[in-house]
Amino acid sequence: MIRFVLADLRRLWAASLVIVLLVALATAFGVAVTLQERAVRLGSARAADKFDLIVGAPGSETQLVLSSVFLQPAALPLMSGEVLTKLAADPRVAWAAPIGFGDNFAGYPIVGTTNALVTGTTSGFIEGDMFAHEGEAVIGSGVDLAIGAEVKPMHGQAGEGGETHADSIYRVVGKLQPTGTAWDRAILVPIQAVWHVHGLGEDHDHEEAGHDEHAAAGHEVGADHEGEAAEDHHHGHIDADAAIDEDFDHGVPGLPAILVKPKTIADAYALRQAYRAEGSTRAIFPAEVLTGLYATLGDARAVLMYVAYGAQALVAAALMLIAVIHVAQRRRQIGALRAFGAPRLAVFGIVWLELLLLVAIGVGAGFAIGYGAAEFLAGLFTAQSGVRLPVEFTADDAMLAAAFLAIASLMAALPAALAYRQSPVEALRG
Amino acid sequence: MLPLTLSGVSISFPGLAQPVLAIDALTVPGGGRLAVTGASGSGKSTFVNLVSGLERPDRGTIRWRDTDITTLSESGRDRWRATNVGLVMQDFHLFPGLAAIDNVLLPARLAHAATTDVKTRALELLARVGLSRPNQSVETMSRGEMQRVAVARALLRRPGVIIADEPTASLDTEAGAEVSRLLLELAEQEGATLIVVSHDERLTERLDRRVRLAAGRVVDDTAPGASS
Repeated sequence: MIRFVLADLRRLWAASLVIVLLVALATAFGVAVTLQERAVRLGSARAADKFDLIVGAPGSETQLVLSSVFLQPAALPLMSGEVLTKLAADPRVAWAAPIGFGDNFAGYPIVGTTNALVTGTTSGFIEGDMFAHEGEAVIGSGVDLAIGAEVKPMHGQAGEGGETHADSIYRVVGKLQPTGTAWDRAILVPIQAVWHVHGLGEDHDHEEAGHDEHAAAGHEVGADHEGEAAEDHHHGHIDADAAIDEDFDHGVPGLPAILVKPKTIADAYALRQAYRAEGSTRAIFPAEVLTGLYATLGDARAVLMYVAYGAQALVAAALMLIAVIHVAQRRRQIGALRAFGAPRLAVFGIVWLELLLLVAIGVGAGFAIGYGAAEFLAGLFTAQSGVRLPVEFTADDAMLAAAFLAIASLMAALPAALAYRQSPVEALRG
Repeated sequence: MLPLTLSGVSISFPGLAQPVLAIDALTVPGGGRLAVTGASGSGKSTFVNLVSGLERPDRGTIRWRDTDITTLSESGRDRWRATNVGLVMQDFHLFPGLAAIDNVLLPARLAHAATTDVKTRALELLARVGLSRPNQSVETMSRGEMQRVAVARALLRRPGVIIADEPTASLDTEAGAEVSRLLLELAEQEGATLIVVSHDERLTERLDRRVRLAAGRVVDDTAPGASS
C-alpha cells in the first residue's frame, strides 16, 4: 500500500508540494510564536537571574528593570546617593553596587559600577582582569574591542549620538565570560570614573546638590538637552591612575539604580519592604516585575495563537475541500482498484494514508521552519541587545504535534470514507 | 474452472420502465468460452457487472459452481471477486507511476495476498504475455503492451474465470489480435472459464458460443447444445 501511496504522491508531486507548504506555513506560524515567547521568557528570566533586588527612585518599575537589567536606554529619575551609603552599611546586605548609565562608545553602553557587581554577576574573565584604576574598563564578551583598546566615552545613550568627553579615555583591561545577558554588550567602568567624567563627586561639599539631575547616571538625553548641554554641563575628567574608592561612605552623587545582593531571602524581603516604604525610593525584585510582563506577553501570545489557530483551521478546511474534490475526480481509479479485488479497507487506507502523510510532512516541516524562524529572530535580538534567547522545544510541543496529527487523522477519515463508500460500478461507468 | 448458472436474473435502474437486463436462464460450463455481443446499451456492461459481482441483480441467482454471489455482502463479493475473477477492461485501468510488475501485483498486495509465490508468478506471467521489462513504468508503454500488463494482472491469482469487457476496443488491429490470442491461449492454459464482451468479431468468432443481447434480453444464442 505504501508503495502505491508513494507512487501516487510522486505523480502528483506539485499538488502535494503545495499542500505540504500550506500545512507547513500554518504550523510554522504557531510554532514560531510559541517558541519565541518561550525564548523571550527564558532568556529574560536568565538575564535577570543575578539581579536580586534593585533600588531606584520612585517611578516606573518596568523601566527600572529594563534600564538596569537590560540596559535599555531611558531617562531614569535619580535618588539620593545617601541611599547607597545606607545600603552599603546595612548588615542584611552582602553587597550593594551603583549602576550608572549615560555614556556610550561605538554603540556600546558604558556602565559605571563596582568590582562587587562585576564579580557577583559574571563568571570570570576570558582574558585580562578587573579594573583597578579609575581609567580602566572591563568589557562584556559581546563587545568587539581588544584588551588595551581605548574607549572615549560619548555623552548620551547608545545610538543617540552626542558630544564626546574628549579628555577622558578608558583603557580596556579585561574581557568577561559571556553571560547571555544585555551586559555582554556593555563596557563596565568604575562608577567613580563616570562621576568624574561628568564632574561629580570631586568636590562633594557644594557640587552635589546642583548636579543631581545630570548625574552620571541619569542623563535624560533628549532634544532639549542638546543645545544646553554645552554650557549647562560641568565637564570633569578622569584621573586615569587614581585608585578606586568603593566605600561610598559619604558624599555619593545621585543615582538611578542600585543592585543589592541581600544575604538571605528573608533579608531580600525585609530590604524590599524597607526601601519600598521609604518615600524617596522604591525597591523591586526584577523577577517579579518580569512575571508581570510575562502575563502581558502571554496575552500577546494568546492573540497570536488564536490567529495561528484560525490560519490552521482555514488550511484544514481548504485541505478537506481539496481532498473531497480529489476523491471525486479519481472515482474511476478508486472503482478500478475495487473491481480488481482491492478490499474496501485498503481503498480507505490509501486515501487516508496519503492525506495523513502529506499533513505529517507538512507539520514536520512547519516545526522546522518555525524553529528556524524563532532561532533567526532570537539571533537578531541577541545581536542587538546581548540577551541570549534560548529557542528550545519542550514536551508541550510534542503534544501539539501529536494533537495536529490526531486531528488530521480524523479529518482524513472523511474523504477516505467517501472513497470507501464509492460503488465500483458507478465509478467504472463514469 | 468455474461453471456459471444464471437463473431468473433481472435488474432495473430507477427511471427506466424496462429492465436493463433480464436473463431467465444461462449456463456456461467450467472452462467454457462465451462471447457476449450486442449494440451499445443492450446490457452488455450490466452483464459483466452482474457476473463479476460488482453489481447485485434485483431478482434471480448467479451461481458460480456452488457460490450464489447474489447472497454475498458487498465486501464478500469483493473478496470473492479478488480470488475468483480476472478482469480485463477496455481502458486497462493501470496505475500510472507504477512499474508493470507493481501494477500486476497491486490488487494482490492491497489484499495482502502477495506471497513470494505470487511475485514469482507475476514475473512469469509478464514473460508469458511477451513483456521483457517488468520494471518498465506503464506510462511509457504502448496501448497493446498496457493491455498485456492488464491480462497478466487478471491471471495473477489463478482465477476460475476471466471476464474481459471490450478488451480490444481501444487497440489497433495488430495489438488487438495479439491480446485476443493471449486471452484465448492463457485461459486455455490456466483452465479458466472465459467470458468476453466484445464487438470484435475476429475475437468473438473464435469462442465456443456467442450470445447476442438486445434491449437487455438474449436474442441470439449460437452454440451447439446451449439453452437460452
